[in-house]
Amino acid sequence: MRTLVFIPAWNEEASVASVIADVREAIPGADILVVDDGSGDATAERAREAGALVASLPFNQGLGAALQTGYLYGLRNGYDACAHLDADGQHPAEEVARLLAEVTAGRADLVIGSRYHAGAVSESGDYRPTFSRRIGTSVFRFFLTLATRQRFTDTTSGMRAANRRVMALFSQHYSPDFAEIESLQLAVRQGLRVEELPVRMLERAGGSSFLTPVRSAFFIFKGLVVLLVGQFRPRQAEAEQ
Amino acid sequence: MRALVPTAADGAQVHLTSQTRIVAAVIALFFMLLILDLIRRDKLQERYSVIWLVAGLGMLAGAAFPGLLEVVANLMGVRNTNVALFSIVLLLLLGLALNFSVIMSRQAAQITRLAQERAIEKALADKQAAEARNGGSAGEQGLQPEEQRFEG
Repeated sequence: MRTLVFIPAWNEEASVASVIADVREAIPGADILVVDDGSGDATAERAREAGALVASLPFNQGLGAALQTGYLYGLRNGYDACAHLDADGQHPAEEVARLLAEVTAGRADLVIGSRYHAGAVSESGDYRPTFSRRIGTSVFRFFLTLATRQRFTDTTSGMRAANRRVMALFSQHYSPDFAEIESLQLAVRQGLRVEELPVRMLERAGGSSFLTPVRSAFFIFKGLVVLLVGQFRPRQAEAEQ
Repeated sequence: MRALVPTAADGAQVHLTSQTRIVAAVIALFFMLLILDLIRRDKLQERYSVIWLVAGLGMLAGAAFPGLLEVVANLMGVRNTNVALFSIVLLLLLGLALNFSVIMSRQAAQITRLAQERAIEKALADKQAAEARNGGSAGEQGLQPEEQRFEG
């Protein structure tokens, strides 16, 4: 069983090395790929020094394109399972290991680490979402649940584990604009088994969230358009096995 | 309001003077020459030029046969040929702008994929170089699935 853990990173030189060290410790058998999304700082150098392989996009393409690079790399190089986590230190690697275990045990094709899942509440004292994030989260939660008829609590979680079926799908179709939500809708529509697992997340180690109220509103509006359009996309035949 | 109605009816059938027709025809011809020149200098690809040449031909046709505009206006159910002309041009430009957005989106997707391919290729090259440095088989990110690469 070959496992890939990839870390999309954009200007995360302060935290990327410690995230890599964390992954090495928690998931010792996995190869680590840092997808450097056109960082202007020393993210790629820090990642290489920490011993990770680095795929550098020549210019900033957005989270979706960075994640797709990881899925494409995993698919091309024959990995059986892959997982990704944020480079800012919010995602403990031991939690990622739990997601991967679900995938390798064959219980799901795609597993999402959820901050808000019932099981996570008791142990999530570390993580406090901001007000605008809470609103966005509940709006998306409602509409995604409506669209997929499956209950999702943490639609924007960047901590996920997946098998080859998901890699094949996401390396072909992955919205560069609205990666997190559209990908969930797409996966469910393609008949993949998508699961949420309660996880513990931490406060950001460095940098600040990009969400301001205006941006949040725009973000939500864009997300709703994406979800609406997604409902009318044709269902594809089985993704590559 | 009442006073405006007869005025609008009077202006319903605008007849272009021969002067405006000549000016329009000259502009259309220059426009088409510009398009051909842009193609010749590799500033414009043939596949994106067709739509502009068609637009130029349309302008020329309008200048040569003003009656055409009236026929079109009647078909549209518009009494004022000016309104018909502006509506047609507006819709044409709207369509063109949309066409460009579609082309732009396609190219954005292509650029993204190109960047991804390049990033992956470079990462694989780095990996091979690292393996070669470390004596071939025992690469840090080697392909041996059972091997525990983590050294504590």
